[in-house]
Amino acid sequence: MRFLAFCQVSFFFATSAIAAENPSPSPAGTPAVETRPSAAPKEHLATELKGGSVLRVNSTNQSYDFFRPWSKKAPSNRRGLGAVIDGGEVLVTAELVWDSNFIELEKPDTGERATAKVAVVDYETNLALLKPNNPDFLKDLQPLDTSVAPKVGDHLSVVQLESNGTPVSTEALLTSAEVGHYVLDDYSYLLFKMSCPLQYRDNSFTLPIVQDHHLISMLLRYDPRSQTIEAISTPVIQHFLKEADHQPYQGFPSFGLSFSTTRDPQFRHYEKLSDSEGGIYVDDVEPDSPAAQADIQTGDILLSIGGKSVDPDGDYDDAQYGRVSITHFITTLSYSGQKVPVTLLRHGERKDAVVSLFHKPPQDYVIDPYVIGRAPRYLILGGLVFEELSRQYLREWGPSWQREAPQRFVYFDHYQADLFPKERKIVFLSQILPNNDTIGYPQLNYMAVERVNGQPIYRLEDLAKAMEKPVNGFHKIEFDLDPKVMYLDATKVQENAAALQKTYSLPAMRRF
Amino acid sequence: MIRSTLFGIACLAATSAVAGAISDTPKFDVHKSIVRITTTAQDPDYRVPWNPGSISTGIGAGFVIDGNRILTNAHVVSNGRFISVQRENDPRQYSGQVKFIAHDCDLAIVTVSDPNFFKTMQPLHFGPLPTIQSDVDVYGYPIGGERLSVTQGIVSRIDFESYSHSGADSHLAVQIDAAINPGNSGGPVLQNGKVVGIAFQGYSGDVAQNVGFMIPTPVIQRFLADIESGHYNRYVDLSIVPESLTNAAARRALGLPDDDTGVLVSSIESDACAAGKLEPGDVLLSIDGHRIISDQTVELDGENVDLAEVIERKLKGDKVKIDLLRNHQPLSVEIELEPNNSYLIQANIFDEYPRFVMFGGLVFQPLSKNLLEAFQIEDLRVRYFYNNFINDEIFRDHPQVILLSNILPDRVNAYLSEFRYQIVDEINGHKIRTLADVASAFDETSDFYTIKFVGASRPAVLQRTAVEEAKERIKDNYGVRVERNLGEETLR
Repeated sequence: MRFLAFCQVSFFFATSAIAAENPSPSPAGTPAVETRPSAAPKEHLATELKGGSVLRVNSTNQSYDFFRPWSKKAPSNRRGLGAVIDGGEVLVTAELVWDSNFIELEKPDTGERATAKVAVVDYETNLALLKPNNPDFLKDLQPLDTSVAPKVGDHLSVVQLESNGTPVSTEALLTSAEVGHYVLDDYSYLLFKMSCPLQYRDNSFTLPIVQDHHLISMLLRYDPRSQTIEAISTPVIQHFLKEADHQPYQGFPSFGLSFSTTRDPQFRHYEKLSDSEGGIYVDDVEPDSPAAQADIQTGDILLSIGGKSVDPDGDYDDAQYGRVSITHFITTLSYSGQKVPVTLLRHGERKDAVVSLFHKPPQDYVIDPYVIGRAPRYLILGGLVFEELSRQYLREWGPSWQREAPQRFVYFDHYQADLFPKERKIVFLSQILPNNDTIGYPQLNYMAVERVNGQPIYRLEDLAKAMEKPVNGFHKIEFDLDPKVMYLDATKVQENAAALQKTYSLPAMRRF
Repeated sequence: MIRSTLFGIACLAATSAVAGAISDTPKFDVHKSIVRITTTAQDPDYRVPWNPGSISTGIGAGFVIDGNRILTNAHVVSNGRFISVQRENDPRQYSGQVKFIAHDCDLAIVTVSDPNFFKTMQPLHFGPLPTIQSDVDVYGYPIGGERLSVTQGIVSRIDFESYSHSGADSHLAVQIDAAINPGNSGGPVLQNGKVVGIAFQGYSGDVAQNVGFMIPTPVIQRFLADIESGHYNRYVDLSIVPESLTNAAARRALGLPDDDTGVLVSSIESDACAAGKLEPGDVLLSIDGHRIISDQTVELDGENVDLAEVIERKLKGDKVKIDLLRNHQPLSVEIELEPNNSYLIQANIFDEYPRFVMFGGLVFQPLSKNLLEAFQIEDLRVRYFYNNFINDEIFRDHPQVILLSNILPDRVNAYLSEFRYQIVDEINGHKIRTLADVASAFDETSDFYTIKFVGASRPAVLQRTAVEEAKERIKDNYGVRVERNLGEETLR
């Protein structure tokens, strides 16, 4: 049995998500005979791209500092390759332009440059479309076609540029297509795995992968030890481009449920499932999700989705890629706004349901799974810094944030659907900027706010409103953890606000 | 093997053991009071709870006190199967028995049944808490040789300190600059011919040099008073979280004068002795007549000490009187003190065989520090339940947090591996609050056993016929001696 999810956010998936980030190394001491001969990489000049279909993309990115939400971190530069496609646009990975301040396209042969902006971005599938500010810039370039999807076993070409601008391609073998973790935790789509001896060139592994003159894929990760590529699959790119044509961009849909497998024969006997039927067990249905609206319930056994029968592992038979998780069918082969018929068993009775698909944006979660391209919200009161909990905040603890970040918050994030069934945010004290009003209080942090001046706090706006009504001249702030209560003198806090702002050089005392 | 792991905060490597001023001839004749204790212990392995455990031998010290008793550290004799006691200048070994053991303050009383043993021994007597900067002598059998060793040091600090034997208790401890090494444990620390402490823990040489800790006489005397009832009742605790009232706005908001007096009750454990007597928001003004200073201290014997010290000196059933303000009204309450139970989940367990139930190759065990460390469990929910057991009052629904701790692979459980480390919520519809509930749920006859876990809706299902068919096979394959231990088998 394993836990997977159709939905964009699966709360059971965290561990496998980590595993995907760190491809397992080959066992130490394995004799070299086992490994593929890695003699000369199959590289050649990328003649198929002679017309100029790839561009260098330079992006200056500056993310917000979630520990000091009023400021941004030091800017950094990222470099990658973008693929020119129809419609005068350039496809890149979203990672390349995360929180970008400035984007520049550069023609590899002539070195000619033009500024660009992000036209459409999808952080979940890690894809973005750039548009040059000067539409004529791409005129003489030949767009790549995106209509062809490869088969497992096909030979593909990974495109790189020499530092002098010469395109080089390296042959890659498409070894498998399966649903796997992309870039953000809990967002999984059809993933291409390829074997390919790739050299690190031109400071970048953000690369397009082509087949003849077709854009097939964008590289996500390369593991030099095992010489394997994980890349965005063609169906995901095709879905993204198709949806990008219709503004506003909707995003990839989900059911909003998590399931487990039904392979265990004792479990099948207990549930009175026949051996010939497949089916997956519905573990959890997110409130207000497409599945919830279609009245799919915990404990239902889903037998078929969109006419595709689902086997006990949660796979269906895909025309192009064989046994693939049904997640692929729901998120990628289906679109937001579509209605998908479902057959299910409830207490042994067969039922039909129709699920109307939509995408759940990150801000609709209690704890935003990501905050990219948006500024973190905060409010400072008497030196107490309040923020809304997001996974982006927790990620500030680095790659092993799940172990390093405050465990109570990691737990809140992981089990948010169970713990906080109603729509709300978690407002918390992230730190105290010591000042005259806080003398005598210990250095407190990572405590969730429950009430301020008697008013329940579900988002920062509630806090701002509650602040306006101090009780007997004091702000009473109540937390979930000891010391549970803090008092501030409302008049003094107001009087000292300007000095506090000046002392700590705060550009503003709040941002909503 | 020297049981260095039990020695203290961290043990010293044998090579770095000789330190401090060592003199061969003790100035004071303690030869007639000190004993060398050799313990053969069997430490259970929580990963194979049906096994008796690995055998190890350790050496520590002890000394004779009134009533033909030997006082030593709990960690010198815990999990002991055989204890041998030796006197100085006597080739014989005597068999010792643990009479009382206090894991929360790392003290134990050992007796020797041979009536001749104590005839020539002289009991030591206790002195007061030593003053800072005064000299003390530390006696014991640290690594580096077989014979009695003495090191000298001065008292560096007197403060609350974590007692690493239990891992969950803090009491008064005295820091001295004499090196305390494995084998010193249980040895007396003397000043002017009186015992002022028992050497019990130190830091590894990698962490800090010349830092040793001793258990001071207030803690020892409390232990001796506690066992006078014929039973060790453990420390008592108010089980409240007080907060300092040192912020001016907080004081004014609560209507308190600017007099540095009073602390605020932040939370109260609902199953402990202060529940119903104190309330969150109470401002505690004095305890047993001692004014409570706003930084959570009281003045005792001319020293400012933690407010908890007043409670620390009391015994089970003793009363404490607290004057407080509730909604600005003065109030006086009397509380009969009881030991706290829920914090024990985070304390090391000794002297009992691990509790477990095995069914269909699934091993169920109550969550404990020993279990968490044995399996190095990283599961987010398990760690959360462990760390927030008191704060979130998890003990209300789960007095014992029962984990599916291990799966002995067999075809009966081939598809259940993903359930490992989940917390059991229900079995066949019965809420599981303790390990005994697990045992009785599996004792019921049913075609299917459905095990529901906290936060997961899909149950693990075992078919009775499959479990019965697998029973002997699993026992044989994995050498499972018994299929359950619900705590009947204790060592003391």
